[in-house]
Amino acid sequence: MNSVIVVIIGLIVAFIGYRVYAKYIDTKIMKSDPKKATPAKMYMDGVDFMPTSKNVLFGYQFKSIAGAAPIIGPIIAIQWGWLPAMLWILAGAFFIGWVQDYSSAMIAMRHEGASFGGLSHKLISPRARIILLSFIYFYLLLIAGAFGNVVVSTAIGLKAAPMAWLFLTISGILAGQMIYRWKKDIILTTVVTVVIALIGIWLGTIAPSNKIIGDSLANSRLLWAIAAFVFCYFGAVLPIWRFALPINYVGAYIVFLGLFFGIIGVFVLHPDFTLPAYTGFSIKIGPIWPIMFVTIACGAISGWHSIVSSSGTARQLEYETDARPVGGGVMFVEMMLAVFALVIAGAIYASPAEYGAALGKGAGVVFSAGVSKFLGALGLPADVGRSYGSVMMIVLAVTILQLVIRFMRVAASELMGDISPIFKNAHIGTFIASILAIILVLTGWFQYLWVLFGGANQLMASLALMLVTAYLMSEGRPAAYAFYPMIFMFITTVAALLYTSYGLLSRVFTGVVKGVEAIIGNTLMGFVGFFLVIAAIILAVEGVKAFNRYRAIRAQAAPAKA
Amino acid sequence: MTEEKKKGGFFQAIKEFVYGVAAHDSARFALKTRASMEHLFILITMGDMLGVPILPPYYSLRLLPYVVPQISTWKRRMLREKDLTDALA
Repeated sequence: MNSVIVVIIGLIVAFIGYRVYAKYIDTKIMKSDPKKATPAKMYMDGVDFMPTSKNVLFGYQFKSIAGAAPIIGPIIAIQWGWLPAMLWILAGAFFIGWVQDYSSAMIAMRHEGASFGGLSHKLISPRARIILLSFIYFYLLLIAGAFGNVVVSTAIGLKAAPMAWLFLTISGILAGQMIYRWKKDIILTTVVTVVIALIGIWLGTIAPSNKIIGDSLANSRLLWAIAAFVFCYFGAVLPIWRFALPINYVGAYIVFLGLFFGIIGVFVLHPDFTLPAYTGFSIKIGPIWPIMFVTIACGAISGWHSIVSSSGTARQLEYETDARPVGGGVMFVEMMLAVFALVIAGAIYASPAEYGAALGKGAGVVFSAGVSKFLGALGLPADVGRSYGSVMMIVLAVTILQLVIRFMRVAASELMGDISPIFKNAHIGTFIASILAIILVLTGWFQYLWVLFGGANQLMASLALMLVTAYLMSEGRPAAYAFYPMIFMFITTVAALLYTSYGLLSRVFTGVVKGVEAIIGNTLMGFVGFFLVIAAIILAVEGVKAFNRYRAIRAQAAPAKA
Repeated sequence: MTEEKKKGGFFQAIKEFVYGVAAHDSARFALKTRASMEHLFILITMGDMLGVPILPPYYSLRLLPYVVPQISTWKRRMLREKDLTDALA
């Protein structure tokens, strides 16, 4: 099939999903009302709560949710064939993905902008809040491990990437200095720093890492893992305007330009899919159900989005009716990003063997090759295109990575600060988070790590849908549109986590895994997976109790039959 | 929708979208940083709110006009239930 047809099918699904299904839920079930005062208006404090234009929030939500995951998931999942991957992306986003993003924003708005901890306390039970927050710490650890792995494998697989990454860092720091210290014009700052970042991308092609530091260091996973987490360390402990934000600012332009011209390139080249439509039910990394459904997480459905929707976006929505374009609309845009990644993986390699060899070097290498090919259609030299693609992948990964490490530092302080004051120290919290993540990056098997990350992410989504269902039941509204996706996601993700964790631990304990490093990493991953399942089951029990409570209240309130 | 917004149309929407992608987060963090500084500022006059004179009344009276407009939003921010996910967004 031609890739353009797949893109057009994606656009049609997005159009129907947004204009018909989402509109129906928004008007008939959630009954959004533009005249109702939102928390942004009621509690405006000029900081967290502030009415903001839906266009600005559209960009903010997109930037916050679109990391590396919607790209890497489809690139790995195409091993089952492009057809099942495409069907899951489209069906997942249509029936579940936007439902979760939009509804999380709506229930947070209807509860005075409460975050997930507060919502689970109110809608489910006090215990649910504690379990949810500990669940989140391990979920973040898996994100750090998976995204750290992407950065490391991209830096090794594409020797131009480190130089481009270095220049991006320099240009970001310069952007922070120019904006906040020297008070320079924002347009001038943007032009200067983006040009420096682009020069870095070009320099990467003439000064690859192996020419500068030698082959052994350029291929050292330890070196690039330390580099990634030193980068995140600065992101976590320095003032946010000094490092994290300006680097993300410059990086956003690089990513945005690459995606924009890359999609034009797809239409110019309009290649056919060269990989098979379907390869089989069970492949090396597992059976299509449940594993493929968690391998493609973002792009179909992602729990991360619900956190952004509830704690960030819901407090800024000016009108209730803005939740559909911001929560739902952005999810469909991310779905298109996943479709783009699917086209890249499925259409640029001549054979499955060629694709397999590239994937062996890392999903970032596959993505960079695709960006290079599609930007090449517009005249960009192939090696510069690859360098460009590699820095896009690194930007997408480190943006989330440094946020996650910063967040884990806060979480360590909150969860363990009472046990010992040492955990309240910013450097200690960051160090612990970085060490745990480095262990996963260096010793875990990436494809299993990715499945565990996807499983945790989807489980977070099903927990968000549980909150939505509880809210709808408490209000006496039809809950089926959130309830059935929740059941499907819960069963699928618990099955995927159990399958993967059991597989990892059985290999460790039967002696299949050799070497201390691999044993440590894979045992850690296995136990984290089991912990997440146990936490999710406790939450599910609490959720069922809450559903029964709401049902009983409704039954009592209903008038007795004559 | 106001006339001004209608006039902005497509290009205004694009401009706002780009701002949202690239800079809205920075603006929010700048506001949060300022709010944290203001918390400290308000804290020094908190004694007077509680009836415990921490600062000499002369300085409290000089500061009060700057603090009073922010007291209600400050109280809301302080008393609102927060959790780990607040650090994310």
